[in-house]
Amino acid sequence: MKQALLTLLLVLGWGALAQGQPDPVKFGQVTAADFDASALKGAAGAPAVVLCDYGVTRIEGAHDGFRVAFERVTRVLIQTKAGYSQAEVQVPLYRFEGQEDELLNLRGATYNLVNGRVEKQKMAGSAVFREQTGPDQMSRKFTLPGVREGSIVEYAYTVKSWRLFKLHPWQFQHPDVPVAWSEYRTIVPGFYVYKEMPRGYLPYALRTQAVVPYSTIYHVSHQDDRGNTADVAPTQRLVTDAISSRWVMRDVPAFRPEAYMTTPRDYLAALEFELHQTAFDPARPKAVTSTWEKITDELLKEEAFGGLLERRDLAGEFSNASPLTPAATALRTSHPDPTARAAAALALVRGALRYDGEEWLYARTPQLRQLVDKQLGNAAEVNLLLVHTLRDAGLAANPVLLSTRGHGRVQQEIPVLSQFNYVVAHVALPAGQDLLLDATDPLAPAGTLPERCLNGYGRLIAPAGRWLPLTPAQRYSCFTNARLTLTPQGEVQGSVRVEYGGYAGLSARARLAAQGEQKFLAEWQQQRPDWQLTRRAVQRAADPAAPLLLDVDLRLPGAGAAQPLYLPLMRLLATNDNPFQPETRLYPVDLGMPHEYATTVLLTLPAGYRPEALPGRLLLELPGGAGRFAFDTSLQGQVLQLTSRLQLTRARYAPGEYAALRELVTRAVAKHQEPLVLRRTP
Amino acid sequence: MNYFSSLLRGALGAGLLLGAAGARAGADPHWPVAAIPAALRENAHAVIRQQDDIITVKGAGRLVHTIHLVATVLDEQGERYGAAVVGYDKLHQISYLRGSVYDADGRLIRSLRAADTKDYSAHDGFSLFTDNRVRVSDLRQARYPYTAEFEYELVSTNTLAFPAWSPQEDEHVSVEHATLRVVTPPELPLRYREERLPAGSAVAQSQQGALRVYTWQFQLLPAVEREPYSPPLAELVPTVYTAPTAFEVQGYPGALTSWQQLGQWGFQLTQDRMTLTPETEARVKELVKGVDDPRARARKVYELLQSSTRYVSVQLGIGGYQPFPASTVASTGYGDCKALSNYCLALLKAAGVESYAAWISAGRQKAAVRTSFPNDQFNHVILCVPLQADTVWLECTSQTEAFGYLGSFTGNRHALLLTPQGGKLVRTPANAALDNRQYRRAEVQIDEQGHGRATVRTTSTGEQQDELAQIMHQLPADEQRKQAYQRLALPAVTIEQSSWQQNHRGAQPVVTERLTLALPSYASRTGRRLFLTPNLLNRLPPPAPRVGARQAPLQLATPFVDADTIRFRVPAGYKPEAVPAPVQLRTAFGSYEAQTQVLPDGTVQYTRRLQMPAGRFEAKEYEAYEDFRQRISKADRAQLVLVHPES
Repeated sequence: MKQALLTLLLVLGWGALAQGQPDPVKFGQVTAADFDASALKGAAGAPAVVLCDYGVTRIEGAHDGFRVAFERVTRVLIQTKAGYSQAEVQVPLYRFEGQEDELLNLRGATYNLVNGRVEKQKMAGSAVFREQTGPDQMSRKFTLPGVREGSIVEYAYTVKSWRLFKLHPWQFQHPDVPVAWSEYRTIVPGFYVYKEMPRGYLPYALRTQAVVPYSTIYHVSHQDDRGNTADVAPTQRLVTDAISSRWVMRDVPAFRPEAYMTTPRDYLAALEFELHQTAFDPARPKAVTSTWEKITDELLKEEAFGGLLERRDLAGEFSNASPLTPAATALRTSHPDPTARAAAALALVRGALRYDGEEWLYARTPQLRQLVDKQLGNAAEVNLLLVHTLRDAGLAANPVLLSTRGHGRVQQEIPVLSQFNYVVAHVALPAGQDLLLDATDPLAPAGTLPERCLNGYGRLIAPAGRWLPLTPAQRYSCFTNARLTLTPQGEVQGSVRVEYGGYAGLSARARLAAQGEQKFLAEWQQQRPDWQLTRRAVQRAADPAAPLLLDVDLRLPGAGAAQPLYLPLMRLLATNDNPFQPETRLYPVDLGMPHEYATTVLLTLPAGYRPEALPGRLLLELPGGAGRFAFDTSLQGQVLQLTSRLQLTRARYAPGEYAALRELVTRAVAKHQEPLVLRRTP
Repeated sequence: MNYFSSLLRGALGAGLLLGAAGARAGADPHWPVAAIPAALRENAHAVIRQQDDIITVKGAGRLVHTIHLVATVLDEQGERYGAAVVGYDKLHQISYLRGSVYDADGRLIRSLRAADTKDYSAHDGFSLFTDNRVRVSDLRQARYPYTAEFEYELVSTNTLAFPAWSPQEDEHVSVEHATLRVVTPPELPLRYREERLPAGSAVAQSQQGALRVYTWQFQLLPAVEREPYSPPLAELVPTVYTAPTAFEVQGYPGALTSWQQLGQWGFQLTQDRMTLTPETEARVKELVKGVDDPRARARKVYELLQSSTRYVSVQLGIGGYQPFPASTVASTGYGDCKALSNYCLALLKAAGVESYAAWISAGRQKAAVRTSFPNDQFNHVILCVPLQADTVWLECTSQTEAFGYLGSFTGNRHALLLTPQGGKLVRTPANAALDNRQYRRAEVQIDEQGHGRATVRTTSTGEQQDELAQIMHQLPADEQRKQAYQRLALPAVTIEQSSWQQNHRGAQPVVTERLTLALPSYASRTGRRLFLTPNLLNRLPPPAPRVGARQAPLQLATPFVDADTIRFRVPAGYKPEAVPAPVQLRTAFGSYEAQTQVLPDGTVQYTRRLQMPAGRFEAKEYEAYEDFRQRISKADRAQLVLVHPES
């Protein structure tokens, strides 16, 4: 075992950790030199700098088992008043299987450099507050005294917990402030093996592992015949080997959210762990989280998951009958086409249950009858009922696990259930296609997942489980068609139709539902203040499978008899926002789905008018077809045609592609500003 | 329909409805939706069918508030009425909370179960710690409409905070029927103030044995919609404000028939908490040695406060009113608004300058203090330093604010001074338009392709610098730049250089912003013409579109003046073909002037000045205001056309 590990370490090229590596920080040992941040990268202008954030997790023997001891020392230099908030600290604590985490040995102090001498002020116990933040969650909050610009604050504590299935995670990167040195160490005896789940985009400065001798003391109690508990032996010493690991990041920049991101959790550099196997008997290691197949098996046996899919128990009795079964069964004959049948089943579930907004993997009300009575369900309840209903309708349906954009990216190689927080339904269509369905959104058509689900891959929970790409089935598209006439007096009249398709349709329908038709139309008008609207209507609002239509008749009052006539029609009709404002980008741009905006204008000129100058045609393309802008004008008889089409064909762009993406949109918007120049011929 | 008319008859006949409420609860069906008058469904997301509040004053230090609330939720946006959200803390305990939910026909769907209720920490988002918690009982249903009924009781040992009764506290909510009943012992008569009550709903007073009973009722209040640029809803809907004559909070008794008495109570809470250690006192004396002018001394003390303390909020029980002792703040270096104001007061005292803590209702667009009805209408404490020539006001929670400056957070409103003689209601200073300036000069070079490069200098003062100052102090440089992009609101711009500087030497704080901008295609080119919008950075958006006739008064919150001078150097050979006509507007809502001139050397100079007052105008004047805004917006979008004669 030991030999195998060492070989592994060598193969991976990790340097062995010298034993007794000194701690990067010792609580209370602040010197005058620590106040000088001038040599630290990225410290200039930052409100505060974390000089050192150091955590060590050890697994240690305890009463009847083992527990996790996490020690942390953090030292922060407060540079400006904006950094004062770094002196308020919150330590989250949990209750697991009835046992609360223990916070021990909490110490804190503030250091100020006064005339070259370090002055120390200790934190009083009265500055520590305890708050119940959830049924199984508490937090301890504290703040440090005597903080000024230039102070160093330092705190240290130990958390002992029983949550062995996850080692204490470590966050290298912090929001708002840079970290000069962030170090995490774990000492894990060989009988526990954890999987590492790294997050973020930053490299390690150091990463080492070594096998070290390990000993711990633990207690075993036993119950006698009368049920009394007593220690068999007061203490037992366990001696074995442990893996000592060390991760260091240096000069970690402050994390700042940018537009078009999923959850910050996907970007903040951090390290999480999951217990992978235990090997108390080295010859027979026991998998804890092991395979997707096992996870599938267990989930299907779980009352709050698979239980919702069951129709009959072993005796052939209905154990969890769905009130929707009769209606669903009837779909087999009324809707012979499987795709149409799936859509009908989707509508059936939507009519019965409304989504309560909770993204969760398990049903809180596993009894389908009770659930339908309640009319309200979380993601698992709504979509497991959907799977049940699709099966009743005779379709090959199964649940799919996924992690929403707000929950973070899934790491496929790590079979851990806590990576997921959401369930949708999958139907294998006879032609071999996959159809994904989600009944939580009342507006999304069959085959279109709500935007929150468009996050990498989902896991099909079926005997033949596999990964399904959660690629958007639709674009975000917005098409504007204008048919306009110029009067001899210089007034423009006509009609405009705007088509919100795909995800643009979804979001427009959501706005329409929230604001009402009048406000929805008023908002469109406000963005185009030059026009006077003479008629306006929203169409096909009720049919989510079709684009939402906005139909208006409008006029643009003439500027008078002046010649020539300038008409910036594209500027007056198209949207002119540029979502990519800042000139730099650190993280990928995640748009969720491809986008397309197109505007076509037909303008009929009165007799005697001709264009004197028209905006020139323009075609721009991003490398690899990742984006495109095309603009053209043409004249046929007295009809002028203007077309503009902006396509962003990918859902995600790397930071390196940002400049080109920004330039493409900038130039497209600039093109829209160019007016037509028209003149009446004498 | 019969049901509704019998309800109305009952209401009108009995005057007091509360006895009847219990009886009705047993009858079937409950609150059918069909019984809602059509006028109450108009523009409403929810209808309060019945709301009965009973406030029983048990003594000077204890009151019991029971609430019975029945509301029909018509759609998703009315969902807040499908759940009861009840806050509590050390001084307010919930004795019970019951609920039921009915379908549209009034059939019972179910009653509240234990699993429907969750308990949360009600964190305010800025405190380190508070004892505020909230219980949420959720009876929301999937299908609309449905009706949720809740009954709960709160026992309060904070009798300073009597509830204000305003059933229509949200827009898009109508009220079918609501009652308030206050029962007090004879020695503790109720004080109340009625505002905007519909005819016939004024107080009815009666006796119940020895007890005094005050009752009010509202019926058939249509839903209200908040319109753009209107006063806060709290200043538009019917409300009964209540207050005690005497109260007690955690062993601190007080009387409340005048501002003097309320201030007296507040002062007593702080009285023994203003002492400093001899060392601190000596430090202050050293600091102001040789400085005779009390204003200059106050400034030195304020600077000391700003550099040695920070804002940390901890609110527990009476700690919501009573500050930490000054000596505690001296040693820990932190405190909340009360504690820091009290500490500053103690420091000033040591410097020989007298000052008073002032309770104030802080926040932008807060409802005005009801000066004729003394009660606790405040949420913040600042410090008032009366000097011979003028009075200096200090915001003690800010480490960066200019000495003596109150912005939109606390300026232009009433504050209650806590003096040894008791409370005094005074006004904080108001800024005039000329105090809130934004003056901008820009030089823009336009090239043949229409690309621009601009250097822009903008000086903002008073309330126009509040946000900028905050960004400057709270965000690092890269984030400041991101914020600047948002303010620029141009589709194509790159900020090449940026800097912000603050100046606190004048009467008003000033922020000067300097930007160098690359403006790709700022001027559009078609053929041999360049099209240029002379208003570079200050285009007022058109007013929010009006839906239906204006109901509420127009409220302009901040007086200001903006002046822009932009000079464009355009490529050689281009001659003006169309120049926007000068615009001059003078209205009650402000004055606007904009002019584009082509100077003899070919430079284009654009000047714009917009000045607007603060004030309230009648609803019928709104159309004229809209017209004013539309004209400005149109003028701000006007384009200049330049043409090259040869090409």
